[in-house]
Amino acid sequence: MSRNISRLIGVKNISFLMVLSMVGLLLIAGCGGSPETAPAPQTPLAQAEGTGAEDVPRDPVVIRLEGGDWGYCSPFTHYSRGPGIFKMQLIFDSLLERSEDGYVPWLAESWEISDDGKTYLFNLQQGVKWHDGKEMTADDVVFSINYYREYPPVSIFFGGILTDPDYLLEVTAVSDYQVRFVTSEAKATFLPAAGLARIIPRHIWENVDNPHDYLEPEAVIGCGPYRLTDYNKEHGTYRFESFEDYWGIQPRVDVIEFVPVSDTILAFENGEIDLTEIPTDLLSRFQEDPEFAVKVNPGFWGYRLLFNYERIEVFSNKALRQALAYAIDRQDLADKIARGAGTPGNPGILPVHHVWCNPDVPQYAYDLERAKQMLQQEDLTDLSLTLLVGQDREVRIGELLSEQLAKVDIQLRVESVDLQSRDSRIRDGQYELALVGHGGWGGDPDYLRSRFLSELSDWYTGTPGYYNPQVDELGQRQLSETDVNKRKELIFQLQQVLAEDVPEIPLYNTTGYTVYRPDKYDGWMYMFDHHNLTHSKLSFLDWK
Amino acid sequence: MKNKGLRIAEYLVTLLVIVTMNFFLPRLMPGDPFLHLSGDAGQEIVTFTKEQQEYFAAYYGLDRPLPEQYFRYLTGLTRGDLGFSYYYKDDVAAIILRRLPWTLLMVTAATLLSLILGIVLGSYSAWRRESWQDKATYLFMIIFSEIPAFLLGIMFLTLFAAALGLFPLSGGMTHFAGYTGWEKVKDILHHAALPVITLSLARSGGIFLLVRNTLTTVLGKDYMLTARAKGLTKRRIRYRHAMKNALLPLVTRVALQLGGMVGGAVLVENVFAYPGLGRLMRDAVFVRDYPLLQGIFLVLAFGVLAANLLADLFYRTLDPRTREGELHGKQEPDNGEQEGSSHVLA
Repeated sequence: MSRNISRLIGVKNISFLMVLSMVGLLLIAGCGGSPETAPAPQTPLAQAEGTGAEDVPRDPVVIRLEGGDWGYCSPFTHYSRGPGIFKMQLIFDSLLERSEDGYVPWLAESWEISDDGKTYLFNLQQGVKWHDGKEMTADDVVFSINYYREYPPVSIFFGGILTDPDYLLEVTAVSDYQVRFVTSEAKATFLPAAGLARIIPRHIWENVDNPHDYLEPEAVIGCGPYRLTDYNKEHGTYRFESFEDYWGIQPRVDVIEFVPVSDTILAFENGEIDLTEIPTDLLSRFQEDPEFAVKVNPGFWGYRLLFNYERIEVFSNKALRQALAYAIDRQDLADKIARGAGTPGNPGILPVHHVWCNPDVPQYAYDLERAKQMLQQEDLTDLSLTLLVGQDREVRIGELLSEQLAKVDIQLRVESVDLQSRDSRIRDGQYELALVGHGGWGGDPDYLRSRFLSELSDWYTGTPGYYNPQVDELGQRQLSETDVNKRKELIFQLQQVLAEDVPEIPLYNTTGYTVYRPDKYDGWMYMFDHHNLTHSKLSFLDWK
Repeated sequence: MKNKGLRIAEYLVTLLVIVTMNFFLPRLMPGDPFLHLSGDAGQEIVTFTKEQQEYFAAYYGLDRPLPEQYFRYLTGLTRGDLGFSYYYKDDVAAIILRRLPWTLLMVTAATLLSLILGIVLGSYSAWRRESWQDKATYLFMIIFSEIPAFLLGIMFLTLFAAALGLFPLSGGMTHFAGYTGWEKVKDILHHAALPVITLSLARSGGIFLLVRNTLTTVLGKDYMLTARAKGLTKRRIRYRHAMKNALLPLVTRVALQLGGMVGGAVLVENVFAYPGLGRLMRDAVFVRDYPLLQGIFLVLAFGVLAANLLADLFYRTLDPRTREGELHGKQEPDNGEQEGSSHVLA
């Protein structure tokens, strides 16, 4: 027996582990490679090229980007984050699309709005094919909207509008290529809501009653420019191939591959991916080299400082809010925290890169004397406040704010919790001042209304306790204004009022840099309301 | 035999406690799986409307009272149903099963490698105790085991993958290359090399110390003197008499270390974008995906428990003293183990 002991320890224990690791290896080799989607019939690229006989022959353009698992690309199963949304959108088209300048006709070649702004008639493109060869008609559009009303998709613009039965009264197919929407009142946000809803094929989804766990290959049949030909959840890899029967502007990129990346810069330098964002410190290295092109992203991601009007009474004093705006050096925050890759927050709330930003609102240039003076006038000395922040960078922002406000004798205590806790506490109104950072600042300016309207005073989306009759009035008027130019005028006025009143303080918007190799591919472009080149469908198509 | 039954009951109770904690702990964390107001810099997040939040909460049964959810979870478990992930939109068991082999590969390979490394260097050190070789090895091992695994990983990544190009930068395999058979195995091993080496180095310090300590203790025992007096060869004394006894505590050690190994794997997988459970766990915590968190914790806890049970049973076969101890009702702990374990566990 004792003889066996050493053998057991020395050999068998180890061989047991060896067996285990071999089992692991075999499991991986055996099943890990099989993609989750049944590999859709892969058309060899060369063949696809060959069919367009008249085209000038060219090498297929294969773009590689940073992967990671963002979910299966159906409108119900991708994850609720940007990288999940745009992959799904490569497959599914919508009535409108977003270009660098604004909304452009897409599946709808044109539309008419009735004079009262309540009825919309969309004229659809003809000859649009689903990836399985069937034709897309008005029937599919009607079905999609109704289906979303029953089963909300993961991401939908102004989702409440389409799903509210009291607002959207009727969706009908007038002909095979015309769809009419009847609503109960004119709303400016209806067009993007209906226009950006993804159209799904009726012949597939009408038999599906569990869309959130429907993971069949049919779930990713759309009528967009790309087909998903490979997806692997645990590796976070995707492969998209251009759809040869695409109805619209032809893809310039034939294949888009998403691969796992540990460090994006290293991967970019090694040529494993074709585009990456870079920190300010590396800017000079890429800017000076003609091999690379650098784009500055618009600042549609940003931090703002929230006041809790219900908890801290003095916040209802406008002079205090203005004094804080003078005392906070927003440029300094952008320089120190964003390392220069940021724009100071605009008091009119809409960031400076927003297509409808009013450049003439009061700017509250950093002015300590003025801030002190205002505080003294209002007899607001020795204020002591607590600022709720998340982690890491947010703590640094909090500390910098604390230093800045100390100069006007306001004591700011920084309380750091994890992001999820911070979000919960904001939802429950458990804070005095809170820092929150998020994207979407470039989106439809209706958020000025939903954020500051006194009626919509839930902690989640609004600003409870804040009341300004002018904001309420302008906010409502712009929403029911379907004439774009008139609405823009109202939004400009609204920004003026908000900048004067300082209901919250936008601190800074991050811009950041994206670098790519123009020799490899140079079609990259932004959407007018978005900061990521890869999220624009037009980036991959032969636009213009 | 009765003792064995008791032992198994003990494991079952432990498992139930773990399952219960798994259920309640994620729900005690502040946060809500459908509430996202903010994100990391640059990250874009779908903010659900109130209606959407309510819809999803109802869809996944989160609007029910907690005891009912708990009961459903337990009954689901007995059927082998780990639940459905809110964020990943897939069966938890399926998600975990697809990732498990990668973590299994990494953890077992790293355990193996750290065992070999620890035993070889530990015995080398013990036999040359107090010499400069001993001190140098000691210093080397302590330094490597004190560097956090992720930092070591980043160092290796920059040096061996980025600068020298010897290993791939990330992932578990080459994608879209269409490798099959032997090519594929080679590719997977090539990708696994750096993560495994990182994890082994980070974890072998404990084993090294244990081997070094127990071996030193054993070498000082009377029977070693007897062996020498009998005129046995050095080789025989070292490997047959000393090593045999010194390595016993390793069995326990490997089982105990599994928890730490998995913890290290979480960090290393994140550094190398390796497709295992660790990366999944980090993401699941971030998005408050309760069913997935429960599932991962359960699988990991189960793994560690199973390893402990195995070590328990294994030890009995290995060391006759523990079996005798069973008869007499009281176990006499092995000196070496006690000293060694307390040292490495501290």
